[in-house]
Amino acid sequence: MGISGKAGRPAVENVSQVRLRPHILGKDGPLAYLFLSPVLLILIGLIAYPFFSAIYLSLQDKMVGAPGTFVGLQNYLSLLRDEIFRKTVVNTAIYTVLGVVLKAILGMIIALVINEAIRARNLMRALCFLPWAFPTLIVALNWKWIYDGTQAGLLNMLLYESGLISNYVRWLSDVNLALFSVIAAMVWQGTPFYAMMFLAGMQAIPKELYEAAEVDGASIIQRFFKVTLPSLTNVIIITMLLSTIWTANNLEFVYILTGGGPNYATHIFPTLSYEIAIASRRLGLGATVPLMFLPILVVIILVLTRRMLDEE
Amino acid sequence: MAAERRAGTSLKKRITYAVLTILLIWSLFPVYWMVVTSLKSNRAIYNDPGLFPLAPVVTHYRVTLFETHFLTFMRNSFLVAATTTAASIVIGSLAAYAITRLHFVGRRWVARSIIFVYLVPPALLFIPLFAVVHTLGLADTVYSLMLTYLTFTVPFCTWLLIGYFKTIPAEIAEAALVDGCGPVGTLWRIIAPLALPAMAVVALFSYTLSWNEFLYAMVFVGSDSQKTITVGLAGLIMGDVFMWGQLMAASVMGSMPAVLIYAVSQRWVVGGLAVGGVKG
Repeated sequence: MGISGKAGRPAVENVSQVRLRPHILGKDGPLAYLFLSPVLLILIGLIAYPFFSAIYLSLQDKMVGAPGTFVGLQNYLSLLRDEIFRKTVVNTAIYTVLGVVLKAILGMIIALVINEAIRARNLMRALCFLPWAFPTLIVALNWKWIYDGTQAGLLNMLLYESGLISNYVRWLSDVNLALFSVIAAMVWQGTPFYAMMFLAGMQAIPKELYEAAEVDGASIIQRFFKVTLPSLTNVIIITMLLSTIWTANNLEFVYILTGGGPNYATHIFPTLSYEIAIASRRLGLGATVPLMFLPILVVIILVLTRRMLDEE
Repeated sequence: MAAERRAGTSLKKRITYAVLTILLIWSLFPVYWMVVTSLKSNRAIYNDPGLFPLAPVVTHYRVTLFETHFLTFMRNSFLVAATTTAASIVIGSLAAYAITRLHFVGRRWVARSIIFVYLVPPALLFIPLFAVVHTLGLADTVYSLMLTYLTFTVPFCTWLLIGYFKTIPAEIAEAALVDGCGPVGTLWRIIAPLALPAMAVVALFSYTLSWNEFLYAMVFVGSDSQKTITVGLAGLIMGDVFMWGQLMAASVMGSMPAVLIYAVSQRWVVGGLAVGGVKG
């Protein structure tokens, strides 16, 4: 009350300035910016400033605790020439694309099943979405134990007992298997988010559309492709783009399950960045790693921002 | 025709339930395995593996609770998550109120940048934020986490609350303003109570996101007295000997706060997600 009064009432000594301020910032300008000040402080101080200082860091050769020297694009060039970084790019691409596609397909199946008139639907939904509620780190720990390379590991035990394998598989230390093992664990936890989004989208589709399709003699499969899928296009795109950002930037699964090994077969850019910047204390080079992916990230964010604003 | 359709429906039903069964096994079996392992003695875990704990023991729970820093980790996680959640709701409500109810220059621009920064991933910010935390003298304290977690909870809360505040009729707020409530009074006495269900959803998500966070906690905090549960657990696994029974007992207990909140509130989760789109 007091605040708005002050802003609206011209002060006697400085009429022109006070009249000008509300004019420049709009009718409720000063009050609005007062309310927004904590958010703007966080946006500028904890997101924008660190972001630009990451770019500044990437142009320096800087170790923890020592002053940096400006090296221009040296960090970017040395990464491009680096064998491990190139491997990381390929891994990140496989990890993200395969992960996102698998989560989308599985998530769609879960949403379709839950959307049917099944018994104890709310309970089934809660159980199917359960993996989402667990802390990612704990999920990763749990899967490390499931993948254990001895008879004590759940997966080896089940496959061995049922006669499908005769030697225990080293899920996390076999160069050809490790990345896919990590992806499976990540898909396990990430799928419910897709199912929730798709389910929310499905529940907004008008029943009449299905009835009309049924009258026209459309089969279940035709109804899915002619009604469900087209109605969900925007939800699917938003979900997959959001998930692309989060999947590519999440380090817990790789960090816990393999630590990037064996022979860098599972390093993705957040784990490489962490290893260079924190473990090897080379801040400049470490900050450069995620920035290499910035162009892709910016494109995704711009598309998403537009779509999420359109949604309203 | 009708018979044919009925046959089709029953086939569809059977397929639905078959798929549902597979999905339930896929979702629940890893969780079951975690619980089973936590109840087996170390000997049983390695020497007679099996799907059931034949002689269940609670040793791992006792050791975890009373002979490790587990309770300290839990307390820190709770303090960080609760503080972050409370702060984000206040900050987010103020911002969402300004964006939905006040007329000012730069409104669209502010709304747009809030979504934009919501999408900037922590993997891009953790190195420079490490420096910020040092400069502020918060390195190696839980306060560094309370502050930096706001970078993902606040944009998210604001974004979700904007959606909800929009659904509250403008006339209600205007009537309150005419009655001399003032903007703060209007937000506190009129809008906030109406948006209470939305705030509950926002609180749930902020709490869960903070409870589950790992990267910042790992980079900014090093002392056992300041670690949160996720970093504390990761620390246990980095030794050469994995004590799986104990790790799984700690995992079961460490998941509880997030899982219980989910169990109570999952009915609203789908609706809440539909509005904003939360971290997966």
